[in-house]
Amino acid sequence: MIFARMLSGGMVRVVALLALIAGVAIAFTLAEPRYLSPANLSGIARHMAANGMAALGVTFVVIVRKFDLSITGVASFAGMTMGAAIAAGLGLWLAIIIGLACGALIGAVSGLAVGRFNMPDIITTIAVGSVCSGLAFLYTGGRSIFQNFFTSGIIDLNDARLLGLNLSLWLLVGIYGLAWFVMHHTRTGRAFYASGENPTAAWYSGIPVRRFVLLAYVLCAICTVLAVLLILAESGNAETNKGARLLMPAYAGVFLGAALMAGTSVLATFAGILLITMLLDGFSLLGVPYYYSDGVVSLILLLGVLAFSDRARAWLSRLPALIGLRPGKMDRPAR
Amino acid sequence: MNSDNTATRRLARLITDFWLLAVLLLLAIGIAWARPEFLNSANLVTVLRTFSITTIMVLGLTWVIAAGHIDVSFMQVAALANMTAAALIVAGWGWGGAIAVALGLGLLVGIINGWLVAVMRLPSLIVTIAMAGICASAAAALGKGTVIRIDDSGPLGWMLNTTVCNILPVALFPVLALAWIAWFAQERLTLGRYIYALAQNEAAVRAVGVPVRRLTLLLFALSGAGAAMAGVMLTASLSSGQPMIGGPYLINGLTVVLLGGMMAHVGKPNIAGTLTATLFIGVLFSGAALLGLPDYQRQIIQGALLAAGLGVATWAARHHAGPKRAAK
Repeated sequence: MIFARMLSGGMVRVVALLALIAGVAIAFTLAEPRYLSPANLSGIARHMAANGMAALGVTFVVIVRKFDLSITGVASFAGMTMGAAIAAGLGLWLAIIIGLACGALIGAVSGLAVGRFNMPDIITTIAVGSVCSGLAFLYTGGRSIFQNFFTSGIIDLNDARLLGLNLSLWLLVGIYGLAWFVMHHTRTGRAFYASGENPTAAWYSGIPVRRFVLLAYVLCAICTVLAVLLILAESGNAETNKGARLLMPAYAGVFLGAALMAGTSVLATFAGILLITMLLDGFSLLGVPYYYSDGVVSLILLLGVLAFSDRARAWLSRLPALIGLRPGKMDRPAR
Repeated sequence: MNSDNTATRRLARLITDFWLLAVLLLLAIGIAWARPEFLNSANLVTVLRTFSITTIMVLGLTWVIAAGHIDVSFMQVAALANMTAAALIVAGWGWGGAIAVALGLGLLVGIINGWLVAVMRLPSLIVTIAMAGICASAAAALGKGTVIRIDDSGPLGWMLNTTVCNILPVALFPVLALAWIAWFAQERLTLGRYIYALAQNEAAVRAVGVPVRRLTLLLFALSGAGAAMAGVMLTASLSSGQPMIGGPYLINGLTVVLLGGMMAHVGKPNIAGTLTATLFIGVLFSGAALLGLPDYQRQIIQGALLAAGLGVATWAARHHAGPKRAAK
């Protein structure tokens, strides 16, 4: 009993999460021993870096209680812009800066429309995403861009290693660390959460709510550009469909993480995206056809959100009473 | 002075009711002037056939959005129904059975969506985005990632390809009848009032004794069934099951509903507006194709139209709502 109380609240969730990750790893290793090989682990790390960036961006937007469905379009347009810049011989860093600026600009458009002009978030971002997907075709009419890619150094972003780990993984950990510090240990982070939980109260407390909504969309677009940058580095060319596989894992990561850790946070997203990437990589290693991957991610997302919904928890807490046990303290939903 | 005022108001009313129809007519005249082949009976039949299918797909969606929810799974439900019908026909089923199973599947997806939103109280975007992923995967899996071709396009194919007076496909008539029933339910029955009231204040609607859960469930179920019907019509129209057919319809469907929401009841998606906007988009696309615009330019135009529609609708809604709520 004392032991159970020690494990209460957050600890239980962390232990359960680690057990879940270990369980997934063991299950895949049993099915396919190559799962734990260095090559596959490095692959997981690379995919996680791209998915994780996009998921972090979505996290900011979800914290202010909005949605952003433009990330596929933003990734497509920014990816082609960076590709075109590299092909024009502008140099890698300048290309990245141009890409990030594009992302920030598009994010600002969505953020202003939703935050300042109160337009409905879902449909506005779908419209913005659609325009961006169309604009991505302007450079080449849809043909792939690969000129100068080998000489520009962008491939090194994918291949470079530091202390035995991929550079992209370090980048991911660094940015998540920064985001975690800002979102959970500064006034700015508190203001983000307040803007989402109760905008009216936040506004009366002197928080410029609209500016934080705007900022969340800008950050989301910038993270999406970083994600597509890593994808370009891995594949060695730019194509208009490069970001097409970012949306589902990102949302699944954010909401699965939030379900597991009882709330949207940077660490919850990290946990969610780690699980999702482990699953996706495992399935592709097992030779499951590509078209199942979205379905599997969607199913996990749905089951995760459902299992941890308030309704399901209310039902679960009634369960002991139904089978004749006295409901205890542990049965109440953890807050 | 007084009568003058009424006249102005009547004019304003007329403009909000029919402006999109007027723009549609102008657009059609413009395209016909630049490209006379637009008025060829073959082209008009194509436009009206697409109109019939898209209308069935978005009728239910119109009400889901009018009730303040969102359904982004409709196009993948259509893709799933499209592939299911094709797979069953290849497996030797008749058209009757294939249509029944595909419609049943669509209804089932709609009911699951509605149950998760209304009873389990999950956000409709997350629910339907996940359902869309599941349906898209299932649709692709049915054909192992490729297209399923069928030889016989069945009674639906006959309805889509046979024309009255060389212009109107037979399928248009049942579609218009269904749309009229939906319009009647929305304008003349309490159902319509409840749908719009849901978007305004769900708690209040519940308090006056409306079965909110059942109503929400019904709306999502209708959206699923309508999308599935459109998917089956696509099977007949294309003589095949196309696993990737869903994608473009997402932005199409939303544009149509939101653009239509700027007509008749400004700021509120409604059936008459959806019909007009569907025809508008159909004419626009036909014109763009005749003028030789590439696909991506159409996509940019459509996204811009959707954004413009949203902007005006939001602006109008704010002016109708009166005093602003702070910081929301």
